[in-house]
Amino acid sequence: MAEATETTRKRSQVADVDRSLYDFKYSEEGFERYADGLSTDIVRAISEKKDEPQWMLDMRLKALAIYEEMEMPANWGPSIEMLDLNHISAYVSPKTKQASSWDEVPEDIKNTFERLGIPEAERESLAGVGAQYDSEIVYHNMRAEVADQGVIYTTIEDALHDPELEPIVHEYFGKLIPMRDHKFAALHYAVWSGGSFVYVPEGVTLPYPLQSYFRLNAQGAGQFEHTLIIVEPGADLHFIEGCSAPKYYEANLHAGAVELFVKDNARLRYSTIENWSKNMFNLNTKRATVGADAKMEWVSGSFGSHVSYLYPTTIMQGARSTCEFTGITFAGATQDLDTGCKVILNGPDTTASVDTKSISKDGGINTFRSSIVVGRKADRARATVSCASLMLDDFSRSDTIPAMDVRNGSASVGHEATIGRISDDTILYLMSRGCSEAEARTMVVNGFADPVSKELPMEYAIEMNNLIKLEMEGAIG
Amino acid sequence: MTQHMDAAAEVATTTLSHINVPPAQTWNYLRINDIKMELPTPKVAGDVYAGLPQLFGKVEVGLGDEAVRWIVSSAGDSNFYEVKASEARTVVVDIDAATGDACDTGVLVRTGAKATIVTFAHGGAEGSSSASLLRVVAEADAEVSIVEIVAHDGGQHLDGVGIDAGERAQIEMRQYALGGSRVAVGLACNLAGNKSRFTLDSRYLAQGSEILDVNHVVRQRGRNTRADIVTTGILADSARKTMRETIDLIHGAKFAEGSEIETVLVTGDDVVNKTLPVILCDEEDVAGNHGASIGAISPEQLSFLGARGLSEEAAEQLFARALFDDAVIHAGNDDACSAVLARAATVLGAEVARDIAEVLGVEPKEA
Repeated sequence: MAEATETTRKRSQVADVDRSLYDFKYSEEGFERYADGLSTDIVRAISEKKDEPQWMLDMRLKALAIYEEMEMPANWGPSIEMLDLNHISAYVSPKTKQASSWDEVPEDIKNTFERLGIPEAERESLAGVGAQYDSEIVYHNMRAEVADQGVIYTTIEDALHDPELEPIVHEYFGKLIPMRDHKFAALHYAVWSGGSFVYVPEGVTLPYPLQSYFRLNAQGAGQFEHTLIIVEPGADLHFIEGCSAPKYYEANLHAGAVELFVKDNARLRYSTIENWSKNMFNLNTKRATVGADAKMEWVSGSFGSHVSYLYPTTIMQGARSTCEFTGITFAGATQDLDTGCKVILNGPDTTASVDTKSISKDGGINTFRSSIVVGRKADRARATVSCASLMLDDFSRSDTIPAMDVRNGSASVGHEATIGRISDDTILYLMSRGCSEAEARTMVVNGFADPVSKELPMEYAIEMNNLIKLEMEGAIG
Repeated sequence: MTQHMDAAAEVATTTLSHINVPPAQTWNYLRINDIKMELPTPKVAGDVYAGLPQLFGKVEVGLGDEAVRWIVSSAGDSNFYEVKASEARTVVVDIDAATGDACDTGVLVRTGAKATIVTFAHGGAEGSSSASLLRVVAEADAEVSIVEIVAHDGGQHLDGVGIDAGERAQIEMRQYALGGSRVAVGLACNLAGNKSRFTLDSRYLAQGSEILDVNHVVRQRGRNTRADIVTTGILADSARKTMRETIDLIHGAKFAEGSEIETVLVTGDDVVNKTLPVILCDEEDVAGNHGASIGAISPEQLSFLGARGLSEEAAEQLFARALFDDAVIHAGNDDACSAVLARAATVLGAEVARDIAEVLGVEPKEA
């Protein structure tokens, strides 16, 4: 395995990007790696290593049985034929303990996160950071003033070993995403490892975001982190999730789960920039439940993965709750990205707004898939869905498959979608003002993505623009 | 397709499990990917009937192959019509559910010919089953106008249409789904020829506990093809409706444009309205768009109408009446017109139906 070359280059500026920012790898030498494939023994070993309570082991074993029994749907979705669980290790862990100072993190792992800009971001603009390397969290820290407000930001494993937090985890873990949700949700519950537990007490507003970054360095491995966030009434949190991996020819698997509980009058913004490598099968599940007068905001950028099935779901239980989903998906060569969202409006006077963009190039396949379900009790509910797709060549593909199910006579649902290309006139106009064709196309694509990037904190917007620029490289000629 | 015997009625029935399957499906738990129907098993064992020319076997029908096989088996002799080059002809298909009618019709419209095709299904009552299958091959420069009416008072009905359009062929279609306990309407149009065009104006009314299931599929294969689908409908009481609309922009269909719009007026508190408007795009130089708007008459609109003496109920009835007015105007055939007015009498009352006839200058036939 090639060692990463030393470099001081970090993600920061549009002019300063190349693929080595994400596509570097370190040796797994000395790591603990469980045998490939799935078995009861492996599931028990993971549980034993984490010294879990019995209820968690029982849950894992039940989930494994469900995983083995369930099938993937045969009539929709991208193919995952190339994903062979017999060649995936469910657990790979660096030989290190979780640190609260970057100086305590092993050198190569620290280098990884330095190059991804995580410590720098922590210093400048974050209230706390968690960093996961393969199957385990290697770094976790939070600003003292945030902790003083009673905010808890730790790993699920640590929460399970805390007598005060364990009952909370027990109460919420696995309640929003049932293990029968789909085959890979069951797999997740069988072998989950790592992830974050966040608890924001009533009325507390975090001045800066919390961020968890997930890095999968090992080849032929799976990452199955579980994120559990509880935002109590009147509280306010912005949580950022980042993920990346180096490219291998062997399939990797990401089947995480995110469960978000947004209580009455609370607000949660959940931002994701996903840049998995293009050998990754990303079958992640995210779900939020939203209380009365509460607000859930999703900002989602999907750039990586070989195959994605990703549909963050919002269940709007509370009256007058609102949901905003802003997303962009960029599918390039070899990618088949099936992304979108689901919104279930159950409370009266709830409002949902979905705005997505997708870009397809170099044979990439983009599918926008959504569902808006308005329940019988959702009087006067309002939902709008807008999706725009940009095709950059004639051998890529872009499909939109939005479903609506309205069961309340006073509700109002609107939907619009467009698919098209960049007009020659626009390119000609920009070229007449001195841009090359490649620059002109990149500018148009960046402008197309602007509604998403402006929803992100500055440095993440820059990262997203970097990724677009990376993807647009070689688009011409 | 599964078959079993209804012990009470001693009628053999067949279950069609996958009717109106769209080209791109989605989450199965939404129950939007197809509809299931239990229908009388065709009594054709050992019988030989006249089928359509093989050419029609290749025409995709929105209902799907399973339903097409059932209709063909149930229909007995098929009806084939050829409209010769540069000629004009009207074809009328009358499906009377009272006699358990199932019709399999093929129309070949030769180069430059003009065809008007009217299919209307009527007479349905609880327990009845009927079906219509219409397949049209339109050669280059053909002009085809199709009116499809389903005006049952009850019962089950399958209505399938498949169209193949050659170069510069123009297909104009009006579709009215006005009633029936459980109705599946499936349309597929293949715009194979360059510059071929398809316009569809689809209107429906579902009320009571009626179930209406619609599948519209337009495949745009030729260059410079155009598809415009406009759907408007009313859902009342506890009616259930599923509308699937797919525009498939196939690789090679450069400069094709496809558009679909659906507007649903919801007047019932217990309705279930499912919509799946899909665009599939495998080509760069194309434009596809769709829009859907689902809701009730807004309080502002009601207030406006109220100020002019119209109650909410009266306003909703006006919308329903407008739908029947439109169906009568475009029925294109006296018998079809009478079928629409008979259904209007059931939905809106005999007085309103008479008024529609009088205002539009139509004389309905006696039932």
